[in-house]
Amino acid sequence: MANAKGQSSDLAKQEQRLAYWLLAPTFIILLAIAIYPLISVFGYSFTNATFASNKPTEFVGLDNYRNLLSMTIVQVPPLIDEATGQIQVDAETGEVQYESSVRALPREPVRFRVVTDFSLFGNKYVLGATDPAFIRAVWDTIVFGVSTVFLELVLGMMVALIVNANFKGRGFMRALILVPWVIPTAVSSQIWEYMFQPNRTGFFNTVLWYLGMGSGEIPFLSDPTWQLPAMIVIDVWKTTPFMALLLLAGLQLIPADIYEAADVDGAGPVRSFFQLTLPLLKGTIAVALVFRTLDALRVFDLFQIVLGQARYSMASFTYYELIQNRAMGYSSASSIMIFLVLSIFAIGYMRSLGVKSDDH
Amino acid sequence: MKRRYLAVMGLLVIMAMVLAACGGGAATEAPAAPAEPAAQEAAPTEAPAAEAAPTEAPAAEEAPAEAAAPSGDVVTLTWVGPGPGGEFEFRKQQAAEWNAANPDIQINLIEGPVSATDRIGLYLQAFQAQSTDIDIMQIDVIWPGDLADNLIDFNEYGGAEAVAGDFPAIVQNNTVDGRLVGLPWFTDGGLLYYRTDLLEKYGFAGPPATWTELEEMSQTIQDGERAEGNQDFWGYVWQGAPYEGLTCDALEWVYSSGGGTIVSPEKVITINNDAASAALDRAYSWIGKISPPGVTGFMEEDSRAVWHAGNAAFMRNWPYAYGLSQNDDSAVVGKFDATALPGAEAGQSAATLGGWQVGVSKYSKYPEAAAKVALWLASEEQQKAQALSPNSLIPTKMALYEDPDIAAQREFMPKLLPVFTSAVARPSTATAPQYNEVSNIFFSNVYDVLTGKQSGADAVANIEIDLEDLTGFEVGAP
Repeated sequence: MANAKGQSSDLAKQEQRLAYWLLAPTFIILLAIAIYPLISVFGYSFTNATFASNKPTEFVGLDNYRNLLSMTIVQVPPLIDEATGQIQVDAETGEVQYESSVRALPREPVRFRVVTDFSLFGNKYVLGATDPAFIRAVWDTIVFGVSTVFLELVLGMMVALIVNANFKGRGFMRALILVPWVIPTAVSSQIWEYMFQPNRTGFFNTVLWYLGMGSGEIPFLSDPTWQLPAMIVIDVWKTTPFMALLLLAGLQLIPADIYEAADVDGAGPVRSFFQLTLPLLKGTIAVALVFRTLDALRVFDLFQIVLGQARYSMASFTYYELIQNRAMGYSSASSIMIFLVLSIFAIGYMRSLGVKSDDH
Repeated sequence: MKRRYLAVMGLLVIMAMVLAACGGGAATEAPAAPAEPAAQEAAPTEAPAAEAAPTEAPAAEEAPAEAAAPSGDVVTLTWVGPGPGGEFEFRKQQAAEWNAANPDIQINLIEGPVSATDRIGLYLQAFQAQSTDIDIMQIDVIWPGDLADNLIDFNEYGGAEAVAGDFPAIVQNNTVDGRLVGLPWFTDGGLLYYRTDLLEKYGFAGPPATWTELEEMSQTIQDGERAEGNQDFWGYVWQGAPYEGLTCDALEWVYSSGGGTIVSPEKVITINNDAASAALDRAYSWIGKISPPGVTGFMEEDSRAVWHAGNAAFMRNWPYAYGLSQNDDSAVVGKFDATALPGAEAGQSAATLGGWQVGVSKYSKYPEAAAKVALWLASEEQQKAQALSPNSLIPTKMALYEDPDIAAQREFMPKLLPVFTSAVARPSTATAPQYNEVSNIFFSNVYDVLTGKQSGADAVANIEIDLEDLTGFEVGAP
């Protein structure tokens, strides 16, 4: 490559020009279906546009972003007993009693609502946000994205190594592991919803009940502590095959003689996995991680079908703001935020995994 | 370096596509709706000159609808009907009947989304694009205020006379700033279903009139049935998932305790009162005691599943469950009845008003013809037909409750007339176009009470503050 640099022949230039001509239609289409909506969403995010309404649209500057993102931490004052002037203490538990967190947060010029309470150095604080639903949606989506991608990578690697080995019925196994990935999310979400039923018509409650765990009435999908784990389980079940498929493709590119050489040199299977397979698979893993993380952070169907308005992902929050609240400006701003969060992850991956966009 | 530039561009483009998928609102394209040519194929042979030229549409508007000559142009209207299922089959018959009798106005009926949320999404996208693809549509009882901008005023097409015999509350609900934007079509109201066999078995004379009685009866029956070996039995099932249905259930608890209607029709925020907070705390106390812990994830069909299997003594649900509970696969056939929901005191009962209206899009090319079809669909004759169909849709025409056929074949309808006439409307018209947000604030806070995150008193205070910020209305007593 190096010797061709700077002195490309006429033929090469001609080829390059042809390449641009051939790419042009694609770019024009992308311009129309991707860049135009992007710019238009960006424009809407500075207005108070209402979806499908005659209400006049006004420019509101950064208000939408401020309402999405404003957060504050306030110390919650303890309750003072008016008679004694002392801090009130619960008679039974001996714990200090505090003012209501709702009251501690500012109301002007915009109202802050409670995200969560926490204690630090014996004081009680409250974390407030102007839109706790959005902050929670971002946090939940990131937790969901990171945990599903990590679990899918580990499980997918195991599956890929197994179906990469030589054994009878390998082709059949490779086809079989793809089944969860083939089922449309709308269908598999519904199936899992049935399995998570909060009584003994549900699979999990029945099994746990027979094993003597739980009351047979665990509300997996309506109890906040179980909601995210349930979502993660469904997504891991569904997407592990995809991850395995990507990794399997990478594994097949590694020549078998390297392993033979390692074997001769006396490296055990564990060592050859960590010193051969993993480094050689790095590129594949990077691509798989980028794909899956961006996909997981955009999750919509699963959350929308299984949890609805009980808990949002970033995308289902945006959908809800647009269609249900008809807040077109506000939902555009939240789309832009999704875009930024995805960009941060994508750039982070490219940096940390050393994915080079060219080979100089 | 060129390649790096290309890679970065590529990444940007991928993200832009992601964004385009998320921010669907920016797209100005109309949703894919059936094209007119398909309908033109169905044009009857009596009108060979039918070319349905859009320029001739005004002529159809000027002429009185009845006088439209059979040899004139054929107008084709698109009607977004119900989702696939029993009701759609009935609507198909209706459309065929109309098309046979009116060669000059043909209806093209298409299936709409089953979920009301998806349906309003479809309408809004069509309205945003000012699309002429939809002419006639069905409108939920909470939507007239929100959609009024985009719907025609039936008063210009003789709507006022047509709705004279309807329930006044529904007509008022459908009238926005003096414009009648929807014709009452069929109604709905929350009912208490109860097991007649179990009430008898445990020695109760009749269904509960107060919430306290309901709690006592539920506990007694639940304890008894569990002692006999049915571990899955519960006293009372209802809808506790955070969605519009919870707004309906909670409005019934609050209103039947004298706590008002969240926002009064006079645009006063009335939710912050002791009766309302006590009503919410009461509902919280049911969970895990007489109602399953999973009830906070229940929608209508989840509660009906428990009831259908014979595992509940009482259920709050809409009238549709009546017919379905009499199906052969039901465990409660012939063992149940429905009545008004209890109140804090006897006689304080409240049922949330539900039901659907017929509306015509303002962007329709043929509003006159569409209004004519809509008036026919909502007429007494058609309401009677749909009441007698397997879907047993509840009429909005008062005269039909004295109809001998309905009395004979749908005996529960006349019996429940008081429930439907006294049904309490959600504050959708007073808070339009922000009703969805109002409802969301209400049910999210109620949901936090049901899941033990806040007390009823905190919830009503929070709702009040949020509604003040959102609507700017005054605060007052119910």
